[in-house]
Amino acid sequence: MPKIGITALVPPELIFACGGQPYDVNNVIPASKKYSKNKLCAWTAIWQEMLVKREFGIDSLIVVAGGDCHNALVDGQKAAMSGIPTHFFFYPFDGDHKYMESQLYSLCSFLGDIKYPEKFRQIKELKKAGQLIDKKRINGKISSAETFRILISFSDLWGDPDKFKRAIATVQENDIEINNRIALIGVPPIYHDFHDIAQSLDLQIVFDELPYEFVRHTGTGISEVARDYCDYTFARPLDFRIEFLQKELEKRKVDGVIHYTQFACHHMLEDEILRNRLDYPMLTIQGDLPGKTPEQIKLRLEAFREVLERS
Amino acid sequence: MIGLDVGSSTAKIVRIEDGEIRYEITGTHKWRDLVEGIEKEDIISTGYFRHSVPHKASVTEITAAMFGAEYYFPEVEVIVDIGGQDTKVIDVKRNNFIINDKCSAGTGAFLEFVANYFKIELNELGSLHERAKRIPHINNTCGVFAVSEMISQLVAGYSQEEVVAGMHYAFARRISFMIPEAGTIVLIGGTVKNKGMVSALQDILKKEILIPEEPQIVNALGALKYYSG
Repeated sequence: MPKIGITALVPPELIFACGGQPYDVNNVIPASKKYSKNKLCAWTAIWQEMLVKREFGIDSLIVVAGGDCHNALVDGQKAAMSGIPTHFFFYPFDGDHKYMESQLYSLCSFLGDIKYPEKFRQIKELKKAGQLIDKKRINGKISSAETFRILISFSDLWGDPDKFKRAIATVQENDIEINNRIALIGVPPIYHDFHDIAQSLDLQIVFDELPYEFVRHTGTGISEVARDYCDYTFARPLDFRIEFLQKELEKRKVDGVIHYTQFACHHMLEDEILRNRLDYPMLTIQGDLPGKTPEQIKLRLEAFREVLERS
Repeated sequence: MIGLDVGSSTAKIVRIEDGEIRYEITGTHKWRDLVEGIEKEDIISTGYFRHSVPHKASVTEITAAMFGAEYYFPEVEVIVDIGGQDTKVIDVKRNNFIINDKCSAGTGAFLEFVANYFKIELNELGSLHERAKRIPHINNTCGVFAVSEMISQLVAGYSQEEVVAGMHYAFARRISFMIPEAGTIVLIGGTVKNKGMVSALQDILKKEILIPEEPQIVNALGALKYYSG
């Protein structure tokens, strides 16, 4: 089964249906000790360097070049120039599902066309299970660290839906005391222990914006996938994303919002707008290199809890 | 009961006796001298070292600054705390804060570069500024490179006083980007004792800036107030 690298959200159901094994090149980064040279954002710089050095063992690469990460367009080309067969995927900014459908058909041609259409339904069922885990987390039945670990893996389902299904079935339920309900918006933190650190400081993350997108979108065929993934909020205008966030934060009864931004990432520019439009106490933090959550970030988290206690 | 603020450059202790604020300030690494004979149960700590010094309770510098500044100026809307290693801007009205620490250009360390270059004490910068006749424009994207630019201005014929004033403006401009619209701005932290920097910030913001009598002890006082109410 060919191993297909992905740089951001690409419908994994389609890759499986085409007989490929998706592999999200971001997932190894937080626990790695890699420091790339010539970097802007560490996420893209590290995967780019690892791709060029052939450290992932992938057969081909899909770069999400439109509608998500702007640095990926260039870092993806560097990987392509090193000789990796690469396809550039573009989400529609305006949500045009016909355009999205054409992008998916073009992706299908790159992957060798659909061979296992039953994979669409299998992944859809798994995503339902993922949504249930998320719901249990909101109700204090599953820890935020465990929920994050599962949700973030829905971008590639570890390349093996059966193994992933077994892992989901073993998720432990607990009774977790929730004192400060936190929404974590923006790109996921580059620190591998961030959710545990937040929990240790009495901040319970009840919403992970991007990982929730990984379980929210699905479909039983190209047309349905096209319509559903058109609502992938990171690819759409900010108004669209903010409207979605407002509903989601209200539904999850959050007390405060942490906006994680990554050094040299264009999403940092959204901070001012999000602060103005989301009516919650908000902490903005900026990460850079992977590893453990640094002390100065812990200070911010601790101070934010104190701020919430004053609210 | 005492408030103990052990920050990146200095340690401060505050106690209130007969309604009077009593305090002492020393270098960070001499904090033990300040608490000699004081029981752990009587210490409320804050600052970078708040968890590693003996304490009954601890509070972050952000919350301590709110309580301390409100003691002096109950109407405070925004607190700007310029420390040795970072600058914190606390929006008291909106219960929000931001901290600059990825770059030295808006921190006390920036002014240390300047003082070190001229081989003068930090507290001399303010009086040099007052004697400046012109203010050169210094581009402040980076604290270290700003020193290179400062040297270029000296080569171009600006006096030491003028270059120092230019650096204060560069520093103040950097901080002004972090400050939200507000009626009452309170400035705290050791760097605030530099009158040149304060006048540059006042000039850029076009706002009155309030400074407590002893701006360096506000967080230690705030820690004490946080606990004792």
